Amino acid sequence: MSPLIRMPLMVLAALVALDLAAAGALSVFEEKGIGGSLVNYFEYGRSTPGKIAKWQAEPDLPGNLYKVAWRPGALKYSAESFAKEVEGPKPVIRAYGMSFTDRILSHAETERPSLAVDSMGGPGASPNYVFAQFLDDRENRRPGDVAIIGILASSVSGMGAMSNQTRVFEQPAPFTFPIFRPTGGHGLERLDPIIESLEAQNALAQDPDRARAWHAQLAEEDKLYSPFAYALPWLDRSPFMRLVRRSLATSDISRREVSVLGDPDMLEALRRIVASFAKIAREDGQIPIVILLQNRSGAPDLMAVLENILEEGDIPYLLTSDIVDPSNPSIFEGDGHFKPEVDARLATAFLDILDRENALDPLRADQDAAAR
Amino acid sequence: MLFSTLSFWLFFAVVFATYAVLPHRWQNRMLLLASYVFYAGWDWRFLGLIWLSTIIDYLVALRMDRATGPARKRLLAVSICANLGMLCIFKYLGFFADSFSDLMAAIGLPADPLVLSIALPVGISFYTFQTMSYTIDVYRRQIAARTNFLDFALFVAFFPQLVAGPIERAANLLPEIEKPRILRSDAICRGAVLCLLGLVKKIVIADAIAPSVNAIYASPDPSGLDVILATWLFAIQIYCDFSGYTDIARGVAKMLGFGLMRNFAQPYFATDPQEFWRRWHISLSTWLKDYLYISLGGNRGGRLKTYRNLMATMVLGGLWHGAAWNFVLWGAYQGLLLSAHRALTGRRKGTSEGVAPSGWQFLRRVMAIALFFQVVCYGWLLFRAVSFEQIAYFTTLILSPATPGWATISMPSVPVAALLGMIFLFFWDAGTEWSGRVRFYLWFPAPIRGLGYAGMIYLLAFGATTAPASFIYFQF
Repeated sequence: MSPLIRMPLMVLAALVALDLAAAGALSVFEEKGIGGSLVNYFEYGRSTPGKIAKWQAEPDLPGNLYKVAWRPGALKYSAESFAKEVEGPKPVIRAYGMSFTDRILSHAETERPSLAVDSMGGPGASPNYVFAQFLDDRENRRPGDVAIIGILASSVSGMGAMSNQTRVFEQPAPFTFPIFRPTGGHGLERLDPIIESLEAQNALAQDPDRARAWHAQLAEEDKLYSPFAYALPWLDRSPFMRLVRRSLATSDISRREVSVLGDPDMLEALRRIVASFAKIAREDGQIPIVILLQNRSGAPDLMAVLENILEEGDIPYLLTSDIVDPSNPSIFEGDGHFKPEVDARLATAFLDILDRENALDPLRADQDAAAR
Repeated sequence: MLFSTLSFWLFFAVVFATYAVLPHRWQNRMLLLASYVFYAGWDWRFLGLIWLSTIIDYLVALRMDRATGPARKRLLAVSICANLGMLCIFKYLGFFADSFSDLMAAIGLPADPLVLSIALPVGISFYTFQTMSYTIDVYRRQIAARTNFLDFALFVAFFPQLVAGPIERAANLLPEIEKPRILRSDAICRGAVLCLLGLVKKIVIADAIAPSVNAIYASPDPSGLDVILATWLFAIQIYCDFSGYTDIARGVAKMLGFGLMRNFAQPYFATDPQEFWRRWHISLSTWLKDYLYISLGGNRGGRLKTYRNLMATMVLGGLWHGAAWNFVLWGAYQGLLLSAHRALTGRRKGTSEGVAPSGWQFLRRVMAIALFFQVVCYGWLLFRAVSFEQIAYFTTLILSPATPGWATISMPSVPVAALLGMIFLFFWDAGTEWSGRVRFYLWFPAPIRGLGYAGMIYLLAFGATTAPASFIYFQF
């Protein structure tokens, strides 16, 4: 037999043997709960439907994001908390964002204990998720409150997505949100996903037509939808094919993200989101503040995109890159969040903005002084 | 069309399938067309430059072959001026204009900066050096001028080595183009192994460690240990990036029946500067030696002239890498190392590849390798830095271990797959070094080799999770 046939056959046979050995080892590791990061490395390559199905079947899996950040649930919780709030002269900080904003606000609360913060967010939430929450939670704010939206640079590409399951291949949280697109005038068109709640997601397993319709909507409307992430889920049985899928899907999604960030319509939609947020908050007698989180990803330069809108609308903002240089790796923790001392500096800058805007009841200064 | 992307391999599959069924003459024509398509994939606007260089050197060499006396020198000058002229305009004009206005400003005579935004044609430094070597060889009567224009055009544009070398010599590549080639299964297998090795180096190692290196070299406030670790990693990154490219270029060419020259011989096993330059970017270092160092007089005018020639050669070699002062500084550093080593130990011939010392000698060599690696790495700091200020700042950081926070590490961690890749590469390079054979793996029986290749493919899939990055040497 020619070496041209013999050697590839040998390599193929060896590859199959290696793959079987890897599959065996991984299943033993999983059973015994060992080899955490190695097992995760292979798990990250499972197809998106495969990961979601596994999360659904095993709710106790570490890192399971199946139930997180579904909008109707969060809004319901917000309404319930709002109803329980004792109305008084004290304004509340109503924050719509993600873990980055939560961490800054938590430091702000520590520094000024009289602050009342009510926050709502999703993991790595994109501006369209954040804005949709702000819009739909309108009934649960009062005049005099401070309304905050957080815009995370690395999540701006999610403006083209309807769910984190298409944007974050390795951790595809299935929660959904609308896409906003600029209309002919100065407005925004809202396109809602057909699956909006955890209950609707759960029901997909029993309703193949709806599951197909949802998949078709993602493939049609979601600019980050990658066929590599969804196709041939049965290949998940092979650890090797999972690695190959991970490579193909992550590069395809990265390419799509670059395309979204280069789409003038998407950036225009972001500008209009910020302008609409400020307009609605002011109409409702609230003080709008935008937190611009320039994190490790670098792109896009949020200030370059939003400077005109912020200045024209005289919208107060906190730009993290004014305080810390995002090119400095020492400001970040291993998971990409800012270090606590950086969050503390950002919180101080945030409190300065509140003071500048006279956002807090003057009585509070006395209470804070007493508390300290 | 990066070698590390699927689009290149689809392109190559089509080229290879077509090539396999064509007769020799048509193979060359098809390869020429494929090479232009490959280059157009980068930037079609600069195809004109390759054509210009090809036509000028083809005509000059033909005329030179028939001319005698001073006319030959004049023709050589035409070729050199045309090639270096293109290089100067497209690569160095903006740099010299900026440097001139900076200089004038520094001495209190501000000049209006000449704003030039000339795009750098990919691979220009490689193909201009390659075509120049042809006319110089014809001038030196080492080879005869070629009459077949298409064969010569293929020599200039041969796609596997067009954008980042190896810088082939006409005496090596032209006969390979001219003679009929047979597709041999062993050559195809060897080519495939080279491609696989190159992909592991590029994708699993170089691309994966690049973010860690970039983070520190972009950081305004790294620690001393960060700088050391990032520079060590950059040494590995640039080696894997460039030698990975070369391996793929050589592998692809080998599958087509061409033998391209070896460009790297385990450079980090060198124990001194002379040996390093016999192992690193061999096609450039031998080009500089044959066409620049020897033309300047080489070592024929005594010690001082030898050092002067070494310095001039290495500074120009540094400038060849890029239009920036840090490359000039890197070249000067290499020139100083070579001169100092030569002054202390004399001229050294060959490398220690294939020599397996034992006992105390082995230990001494390991220590020398480890020590000289630090010397090489400081050169890489000069090469990678973005400004003189950064060079000065990073040098100070490295040399101040008593500073509080010196050992704090803020560099993003290196992926596990990259670490596995580095371990694999160490053993691969050590096997080549110890055996003195680039195909040392053929010692193993076929089933073991099959398992090894499968392991490499698995490693490739394991590491192929980072976005493909361009090859560092494309910018040169």
